[in-house]
Amino acid sequence: MSIPILVGLAVGEGDLVPLAEASEVAAAAQAAGVTALRLLDSLGGRPAVDPSVVAGYLAGRHGDLGYVVDVPTSHNAPYNTARRVLSLDRAGAGRVGVALRAGGGDEVSDGSARSAPDVPVDERWAEYAEVLTRLWESFPRAALVGDQERAIVVDDTLVRRIDHVSPAYRVAGPLDGPSSVQGRPVLVAADVDVVGWPAVAASADVVVVERPFSRGADDALTAALAVAGRRRDEVALIGRAEVDVVDGDAAALTHELLGWLDADRLDGLELVPGGGARGVLATVRALVPLLDARPTSTTLRAALRLPETAGVPA
Amino acid sequence: MTSQLHLNVNILNAGVFGGSWRFPGTDPLASYTIEHYTSIARKAEAAKLDAVFLADGPSLDPSTTHRTGNNLEPTTVLARVAAQTERIGLVATLSSSYNDPVELARRLGDLDHVSGGRFGWNVVTTAGPVAAANFGRDGEPDHGLRYRRAARFVEQVVASWAERDRHVSPQGRPVVVQAGGSSDGKRLASRVGEVIFSAEQDIEKAAAFRRELRAGAAEFGRDPDELVVLPGLSTVLGSTEAEAAARRELLDEVLPDAYARGRLAGQLGFDLDGLDDDRPIPAHLLRDPDAAGGSQTFYRVVKDIIDRENPTLRQLLKKLSGGGGHRIVVGTPEQVADDIERWYRHGAADGFNVMPDVLPSGFDDFADQLVPELQRRGLFRTEYEGTTLRDHLGLGLPGAPTGVWEHGALEAAR
Repeated sequence: MSIPILVGLAVGEGDLVPLAEASEVAAAAQAAGVTALRLLDSLGGRPAVDPSVVAGYLAGRHGDLGYVVDVPTSHNAPYNTARRVLSLDRAGAGRVGVALRAGGGDEVSDGSARSAPDVPVDERWAEYAEVLTRLWESFPRAALVGDQERAIVVDDTLVRRIDHVSPAYRVAGPLDGPSSVQGRPVLVAADVDVVGWPAVAASADVVVVERPFSRGADDALTAALAVAGRRRDEVALIGRAEVDVVDGDAAALTHELLGWLDADRLDGLELVPGGGARGVLATVRALVPLLDARPTSTTLRAALRLPETAGVPA
Repeated sequence: MTSQLHLNVNILNAGVFGGSWRFPGTDPLASYTIEHYTSIARKAEAAKLDAVFLADGPSLDPSTTHRTGNNLEPTTVLARVAAQTERIGLVATLSSSYNDPVELARRLGDLDHVSGGRFGWNVVTTAGPVAAANFGRDGEPDHGLRYRRAARFVEQVVASWAERDRHVSPQGRPVVVQAGGSSDGKRLASRVGEVIFSAEQDIEKAAAFRRELRAGAAEFGRDPDELVVLPGLSTVLGSTEAEAAARRELLDEVLPDAYARGRLAGQLGFDLDGLDDDRPIPAHLLRDPDAAGGSQTFYRVVKDIIDRENPTLRQLLKKLSGGGGHRIVVGTPEQVADDIERWYRHGAADGFNVMPDVLPSGFDDFADQLVPELQRRGLFRTEYEGTTLRDHLGLGLPGAPTGVWEHGALEAAR
């Protein structure tokens, strides 16, 4: 059975992948059946070009591919993140996700008189994730009516404020555009070591675990989901590993990666190639086809085998 | 002033009028799709326009019950447009009130880099309790504080761009665009604005505004030619004068009354319920513009119309047509070109921020009929000469502004 494969990519200068080559990578990824490119905020300490800018640009040329953008809580008010990610997703016909990175606050939210900026990082992530998921459901697609005769654009009886209040964030909502065709953009948790399993189990659609920490992750995730009232099949567990195909043997690497996937009961893989553009292209062209990757032919949620319209637990 | 005028197109969802989305032959929800923006941008590039422009705000405007509104985050739209175009400039509205300056500087600078130096940032402050509530606030700070924050914010962002040593832009850094007809807005524009949007109904007032800004810029040590002043211009085109007039009438007919009233009430800051449609608005309800809260610019425009024409409420609603107060020009391409030329040669404008009546059909007419007429008159380019937005606008790269804000006042703004 085919498996979801993400390829991690940092676009920029130096050791990173220049934009022109990134476009070549996206084309190759699309052809090879990569599920999604995960656009990183940095790699090896080098800041990349803003992931949401890169995603918007690449999707404008290579639209039959999933895109996951890294966005930190730091410096990003949750309303803005929700809006930006949903916009990418609507432009991308439901092929977008966000890896919400744990971090600090932002000038706007912290400046609000009633906020408490010293919220611990795990609690902040949990609050932020909840705001995102609720905002993404605040304006159902059915509310966008466009009835010229009755002069109704939006059926405002279907659009709801979220009125979120928590120590770090107060967000009224709603968003100004309709929900995703995939229900909600995919929410990826990539910092479970910092955020903790309970927060991840409450909100995430995907959990990415680094290779050294993947053993036992399936058990931990399953247990945490049970407490949160969710099923294990509602979340995809993705193992993340650096790969080197240029100097390695693709067939042997394939065997090894699939063995790891089976042993740790992972649902998919995120490959992070070193070696700049050359390394990424080699990974996409030589390794991905051997892994029987599952392309995003309809929505990212479907390619990850997640439930199409997941409800947010109360 | 460069030897030719400058044109942006404002891809304002379905068009600038309140009834645009209901205009016959128009897909009412096209502006909720990305293709609406990318296809108009490609058309604008084929017509050699300086830039496309996206208005925006971080909230769902209650008026969208009856009228299309902003619904896609502008940097995501323009990143996609950048991938599908080569030369045209890309101007986005982003709020200084509700963004983090570190994050915004990075994202906009990166968009400028990715687009090959074609990006401009329209700096706005955001009014209204609806937006405020999306960011943990009960209401917006008062007008003066909003602008002090904006001044600090702009200085910080532009300084950050000037210091970049990676992912740099061929144009040095994004162009700073600024609208705002309030006293605070004009001061900020003179200090840091490179492209200035305005809303002027009258040619003499527009010329005076442009002179005032240029003089203000000179006082700050700037070269006045480093400012490009672009009044808004709503166009209603027809192949004959009668056809254009009929189109204008039809736009009024399809204007949802509830929208028009709600919009005017918002602009004036009070409810219109109970007022007589066939009498002017009672004078005692109209405050001094400098004391107005929300958007002083549009309040000022509406008040000027009232002072000048003393319209009944019904006439005022019709004149504005739910269109926000920009000047509306109705006619054949030749007639509208005459009007554009007259304003340009009078020194009232360096060009225009064009807001077609209906999108995409009104812009198709503009690009196919009006632009060639301007080109024929030698008023507008027939080919792009440069590759960046600064090139198209004839702007150099001045040093980053400093001392834009007065320290100490800002803490109170939080």
